[in-house]
Amino acid sequence: MDWTARIRAALTRSESAPALDEDVIEELAQHAHAMYERARADGLTHDEAEARVAAQIARWQVDAPALRHKMRRAIPIEPPPVSSSSPLSSLTQDVRYAARLMWRQPRFALLVIVTMAIGIGATATLFSVTSGVLLKPLPWTTAERVVVLKETRGGSAPRFGSFSSTAYLAWREQASTIDDIAAWTPQTFTLTGVGEPERIRMTAGTASLFRVLGVRPLIGSLFADADETSPLVVLSESLWRERFAGDPAVLGRSVQLDGVPRTVIGITPDAVAYPDRLSRGWVPMHVPLPAGNMLSMFEAVATLRAGATAEQAAAEGTARGKAAADTAMTTMAIFGGNGPVGVSTRPLDEALTADVRRPLIVLLVAVSLLLAIATSNIASLQLARATTRRRELAIRAALGATSARVIRQLVVEGLLLGAAGALAGFAVAWMLHRLARGVLPADFPRVHDIALDARVVLFTILSSAVVSLIFGLWPALRLRRLNLVESLADDGASPSGIGRRSAVARSRLLIIGGQVAIACVLLVGASLLGRSFVRMLHADRGFDPSEVLSVAIPMPGPGYNPQRRIATVHAIVERLSSMPGVRHAGFTSEAPLSPGGSTSSLTLPARDGGEMVAVQASPRLVSPGYFPALGLSIVAGRSLDDSDTETSLPVVVVNETFARRYLGDRPLGVKVPMGVWGGGHQGHATIVGVVEDVRYVGSSVTTLPEMYFSTRQITAGMRSTIATLLIRANEDPARLASSVRSAIREADRMLGPGAIMTLEDRLLSTSLARPRLYAVLLTCFAVVALVVTGVGLFGVLTYTVAQRTRELGLRAALGARRLDLVALVVRQGMGVALVGVASGLCASLWLTRYIGTLLYDVSAADWVTYVAVPAILLSVAAVACLVPARRAAGLDPLRALRS
Amino acid sequence: MGMDSLARELKRGSTEILILALLEDRDRHGYEIAQLIEQRSEKAISFHVASLYPTLYRMEDRDLIEGRWVEKPGQRRRRYYRLTPAGRKALASQRNVWDTFFRGLNRVARIRHA
Repeated sequence: MDWTARIRAALTRSESAPALDEDVIEELAQHAHAMYERARADGLTHDEAEARVAAQIARWQVDAPALRHKMRRAIPIEPPPVSSSSPLSSLTQDVRYAARLMWRQPRFALLVIVTMAIGIGATATLFSVTSGVLLKPLPWTTAERVVVLKETRGGSAPRFGSFSSTAYLAWREQASTIDDIAAWTPQTFTLTGVGEPERIRMTAGTASLFRVLGVRPLIGSLFADADETSPLVVLSESLWRERFAGDPAVLGRSVQLDGVPRTVIGITPDAVAYPDRLSRGWVPMHVPLPAGNMLSMFEAVATLRAGATAEQAAAEGTARGKAAADTAMTTMAIFGGNGPVGVSTRPLDEALTADVRRPLIVLLVAVSLLLAIATSNIASLQLARATTRRRELAIRAALGATSARVIRQLVVEGLLLGAAGALAGFAVAWMLHRLARGVLPADFPRVHDIALDARVVLFTILSSAVVSLIFGLWPALRLRRLNLVESLADDGASPSGIGRRSAVARSRLLIIGGQVAIACVLLVGASLLGRSFVRMLHADRGFDPSEVLSVAIPMPGPGYNPQRRIATVHAIVERLSSMPGVRHAGFTSEAPLSPGGSTSSLTLPARDGGEMVAVQASPRLVSPGYFPALGLSIVAGRSLDDSDTETSLPVVVVNETFARRYLGDRPLGVKVPMGVWGGGHQGHATIVGVVEDVRYVGSSVTTLPEMYFSTRQITAGMRSTIATLLIRANEDPARLASSVRSAIREADRMLGPGAIMTLEDRLLSTSLARPRLYAVLLTCFAVVALVVTGVGLFGVLTYTVAQRTRELGLRAALGARRLDLVALVVRQGMGVALVGVASGLCASLWLTRYIGTLLYDVSAADWVTYVAVPAILLSVAAVACLVPARRAAGLDPLRALRS
Repeated sequence: MGMDSLARELKRGSTEILILALLEDRDRHGYEIAQLIEQRSEKAISFHVASLYPTLYRMEDRDLIEGRWVEKPGQRRRRYYRLTPAGRKALASQRNVWDTFFRGLNRVARIRHA
């Protein structure tokens, strides 16, 4: 007996009103059936039992309206009522419903929240860095009008400093586009006289620097123009608090910088330290009037006069510079040319952050791509879920929910999940943010301006809202043209069901394709930066930095005068050389990692009746052990050795660049004036050898001509208050560190050597720190993207295999071999991966132009990258295909068809 | 108030507590609920199914009970109802109300309730 049909007929016949809900009819049919069974069990005949049920149906007929209007809930997870008294209360219902849904499916909610937390957390952290460094207003009140000045001669930039004293003085006397001009230069001092000696960086600046930057003292006063040659110092607030416990009585007290007593006249807030907070105070600097060929180089800034533009200032600066006194030879030496003066101006904020602007933007774009992948993964999950919820939504639509209402509910669900994700994301950002300070290199600009402030919170909220709208709306829009009948009729096996489900699968595959493309772009970027970093690390510097230990030993005055410093250095080097495990130990006045130090102009005496040669070279003081310790070989003549003493003939070793540029093919025997060392040094030193060049990798300055004098022959002693020692070990250099430290202490108990590390570690913590950071970050993003994409592909393929179980079973039953079934799945997965990789590579070729300037010795179209990245991606895709493909192959046709 | 209308009012007011009480120990379908009410009340209370189902749906709307379809092999699909936490609370409070009511009634009219 078909009770369902009878009840449907009985209850819908009488009225023209809409049909009863199928679920109600089904339930009443169930009741009728039970009644009939019971009557039969009680001994009634078929006809009697049927009559009893018919009577019941007749009663229902009367009550049909009551039944029609009450049936609302059809599935275990009840959606909220369709209509509601007020929009607000229905919204509350939506939220409550969404929360209940989340609670009931904690695994799904957790997956979404974790995915979002990673995406939002990483993006918010990078945004906070970018916002702090690039967007926040600078701490100096006048910053908007400040320009940074650069001087060139005939287009070539100076080898050190940015601006010359001649152009500076000429412009200062007569300025119409600028209110003020200031000179400054960074200086490192050993601070003594208050607690432990400490190396600190300070800014030596003209009195006008405070005016240009609008700096006001916290207490005390700042330098006046007349103070520029006085032994004064202004301390930063943090130094004042550390060393003087914030005592205002510090004013008028004396501290020693490199052994020279200076009077503290004021304290400035840390925020206005210039150029950054690594500078712990200010000392006065005086720009000397031109005398002879003297030219001092420094950094310069100026305040634009109201109404004047940076371009006008540059034009005026150029004109004033051209009119200034000519210092031909020195200019030649410093600029490498003596062409016409050119002055350029750059807004302060741009100049301070120029080096990091490009990398930060690249990283922000990269992390946004990561967020896009995370978002699309959630959207894909939602889509899969939406298929299973289709009946629920169809029933709601059938009961009168407008599609707008259904979409709103899905969006509310998305937003609720998004809010939870945002909260978790913010927690991740907070943790990453605490990490970031430690990870960022010490010289990273504006590190102190990076904060999780209102701007970052707003960004987090906005990006989460956008993300959750996307993954809430997408499934909703996909289901907008929901076919009610089809959905209700769909028992998961009908052909129409398969069609719809595979449409969803197609959408998900499209998403995966996009993810593969994004992962491809990130991998290409990471590979390029990574390879560039490795190239930089292993570049040919002329020596192997991983084999050489280095240690910096401060020897501050007044306990150490230049002669005592040299004597101490000799004692230490001797002690180190005799230590077991040490092959060579040497001293140098300049660590061989960056092209620091001074350069001197000198003339070489004419040879063979030729002309005098003007030379610009960097003099260095080294002990004989320096060359073997660093592993530099002598290419001509001999090295410095212990037989070169105060009483023997003065000698000098020059580098290859020196020899090539000034000496041609017969470098030995030429005499170099000793005057560069001052202190009564006269006469000449004979060039006895040529040593390999040291290359300064990653620096804009190429190798300069260098002259190495022996510590044993320079009686003026060591001017620098910091000695750098290099040690080459027989064994693992790291194991030598502690004995090196005790050897130094034994030689002189007063000394406090700095960190003992290999030159490679020193490079990693200084000039390689930023490239490494960029490469590591981008690699992290790429790896996360790769994993998310791989898991996504795996998920979609598993899902399609499950959806197509019957179809695959049918194919197997019809004679398809296992291999055919595997191929079916693999083709789908790998097809998507291939399309994704192809579009990703195209996008990469276009996008990597923007990181070209960050690359060292690696082309943006590096073929290794463009081969390796597709290989990696396709392998991951293949692994992701494997499990679903095996599942498809292992299907039992009979069970698959029965399922 | 006539005898009939009193019975009707009582029945209407007590339907909910009956359903809630029957669902207290396990999930049941509509027919079973109707049968049990008849059996346990010794036919003193009987239901028009027409009023049972609208009552169930109304209670479901108020979140007191929750219906779901259950399929068992070899049987037709059945809609089972179960008590929600809110329903459990409502049952407890209604029991309280009826208890107080009967006690009062007994004290005044000397009617004993089971």
